[in-house]
Amino acid sequence: MGANNGLVIEARNLTKVFRDFWRRPKVCAVKGINLEIKRGEIFGLLGPNGSGKSTTIKMILGLLYPTSGDLTVLGKSPRDVAAKAKIGFMPEESYLYKYLTAVEILNFYANLYGLSGIAKKEIVERLITQVGLTAARNRPIGEFSKGMARRVGLAQCLLNDPDLILLDEPTSGLDPIACREVKDLLLSLARRGKTILICSHHLADMQDICDRVAILLNGEICTQGAVKDLLINPDTLRLSLQSPPRESLSAILNYIEQETGQRPLVDHAGRTLESVFIETVTRRPSPL
Amino acid sequence: MMLIRTFAIAVLTVREAVRSKFLLSLASLLVAGLVGLPLLIAGDNTLAGQIQVILTYTLTFATAILSITTLGTACGGVSAEIEDRRLYLVMTKPLHRTELWLGKWLGVLALNAALLALTGLIISAMTRQAIHSAKDSPQVKRQVTEQFLMARQALPPITPDYSRIAAEAAQRLIQSGRAPAKMTFDAIQQRLIEELKIQRFTIHPGGSVEFSFQQPDAKNNGNDLILSYKFDSTRPERSPVAARWTLGTDHAHLIHIAVTNYPGVPATLAIASSMSTGTNILSVTYQRLDDRSQATIIMADKTQEPELLVPYGGFEMNLLRGLFVILCRLAFLAALGLTFGCLLSTPVAVFAAFFVLILMASAGYIESVATSGVFFVPHEGHAEELTRLDKMILHLFQGFHLVTMPLTRFDPVPLLAAGRVVSGEMALLAFGWLAGLYTVIAALIGITLFNRRELG
Repeated sequence: MGANNGLVIEARNLTKVFRDFWRRPKVCAVKGINLEIKRGEIFGLLGPNGSGKSTTIKMILGLLYPTSGDLTVLGKSPRDVAAKAKIGFMPEESYLYKYLTAVEILNFYANLYGLSGIAKKEIVERLITQVGLTAARNRPIGEFSKGMARRVGLAQCLLNDPDLILLDEPTSGLDPIACREVKDLLLSLARRGKTILICSHHLADMQDICDRVAILLNGEICTQGAVKDLLINPDTLRLSLQSPPRESLSAILNYIEQETGQRPLVDHAGRTLESVFIETVTRRPSPL
Repeated sequence: MMLIRTFAIAVLTVREAVRSKFLLSLASLLVAGLVGLPLLIAGDNTLAGQIQVILTYTLTFATAILSITTLGTACGGVSAEIEDRRLYLVMTKPLHRTELWLGKWLGVLALNAALLALTGLIISAMTRQAIHSAKDSPQVKRQVTEQFLMARQALPPITPDYSRIAAEAAQRLIQSGRAPAKMTFDAIQQRLIEELKIQRFTIHPGGSVEFSFQQPDAKNNGNDLILSYKFDSTRPERSPVAARWTLGTDHAHLIHIAVTNYPGVPATLAIASSMSTGTNILSVTYQRLDDRSQATIIMADKTQEPELLVPYGGFEMNLLRGLFVILCRLAFLAALGLTFGCLLSTPVAVFAAFFVLILMASAGYIESVATSGVFFVPHEGHAEELTRLDKMILHLFQGFHLVTMPLTRFDPVPLLAAGRVVSGEMALLAFGWLAGLYTVIAALIGITLFNRRELG
């Protein structure tokens, strides 16, 4: 693994200042953030536009260089090629060569990872199938919909069986089923010990899959912690039970009111729109 | 691993050029230009003129087009990919920026090699077809074939030991006390060498001059030798000069050929291969027959003595060597373009590439300014002392000359158009200088600065 004390990403006082042509400071995009991401974690980086999420991701990828502070990725400098060999990255936009087909683009990136021969062929074929692009494997990327291009983006990100996976808006442009599949895939990767860093505005998705999150604002981390800890309201308790007969419910509520002096709120347990959509779509046979 | 990654980038560059129809468009433009230009440009209505037009214009056109597109492709190859962010994803892979640079360079080079191969095929086919389909006599066709479709090595005449003769004369002048005051021995010797040369090449009415050539050891397969010469007249009217060449060998084999040539116009004289059989020295004497003329002619200037053009090899191999030299030039331009593309945004990189093209087009003037220190020759008055600004501009030109020097030094087009040999040595030197040293310098600058560049 090569990580320090099980830490896959470690940032200490990480700062990034963008300068103008004359080297004068223009914008301080990241202000001394501290970040520790452990092996097997799914970590979410949240924040409004311009909060410093992308800058942080780019520094972790070695595309931008920190102005000050320390940053290690898998125990190495982010610019170290050996570290990059263990990282998979899926950008928000599919920055792919539109004249290449899905297979060609995966072969190209596989070559950059030094894969060759039968091993390369097997990995590419497996990923093409895994992301559901078997039928479109020989079509140029330029003809793909955004969702299909995102699938290619996801496949290229997994080519090297990475230890660290960075995803920028991974579910953007995907239909709910593909979105669920991606989330399930990420959860299974995390169970296999992969570390995942996600940058997204889809808070519901982040809540579904992230173990820990950090919220950035104006280049600083405002809040950081485990999702379940952040979402808990310790002053409020929720009781769930199969709908009882009306008389029993009334007795229960009266009892609680007598004991606590509070009349509890009663409503039906809700479902998410995602679960309704998936149930509806999967029940009907596909016209294709 | 490094090779796999570099090769992957090179293949991607070629594949993108093919898929985006860029290669097809460029190949079509080349074919149209190579075939169309000789039809549009009129020669001197001779077969030799037509062949000269084909060779000169097609090679110049191909070199110019490929130079422009190489710079453009190399610039855009990186800067455009940075701007549309495709390179972000590539650079998150375990790829050194050196490998990216090298892969792009090899890709651009592979495209150029393919286009140059196409150019060579077209030029070769057009030249042979033009001679084959000409309505001229077989003798004329043979002469043109000998002149253009045979790579020839230019042999200079055996020159007297000017230094020794001048040194002896200078010694005598000094000893006799007739040497000009304040002149050093070296200055006197140099002046005498100049005078000896002028004396040797000056032919008065009715006079003559003899040149001897050492023949090469290589066996001649029945091809003619060609004597190439040019003279200037002291008279402004430039009337033709009648003369007679007398050819002889060390076996005193004499042949007389009468000629009439115009001053300032390059002329050639075919010498049958039988003249060179079993002999080491070929002597040629130019005897003026117009003894009533008042004009004095000078058979050669400082740079252009008569030359004996001896067969060296076939046309296609010579063309191949010439195209290889052009490829070496393009390798350097690709390196320059990539360096611009790695450091600058697309518009600025294109502007820089355009500037390089202007430098290339002005390479002759730049060389003249850098070496002579003269910007222009005033029509009247005296040259003034160089000001500080003049000196700065002169240094600037000397800097430009460093860039353009190998491009002007290794230009195979005039050689190919004149049927002269592009030697293996020249090809090797072009490879060493252009594809080697200059490309490495451009690469080192480009890669070093690219490594410092953030892709954000």
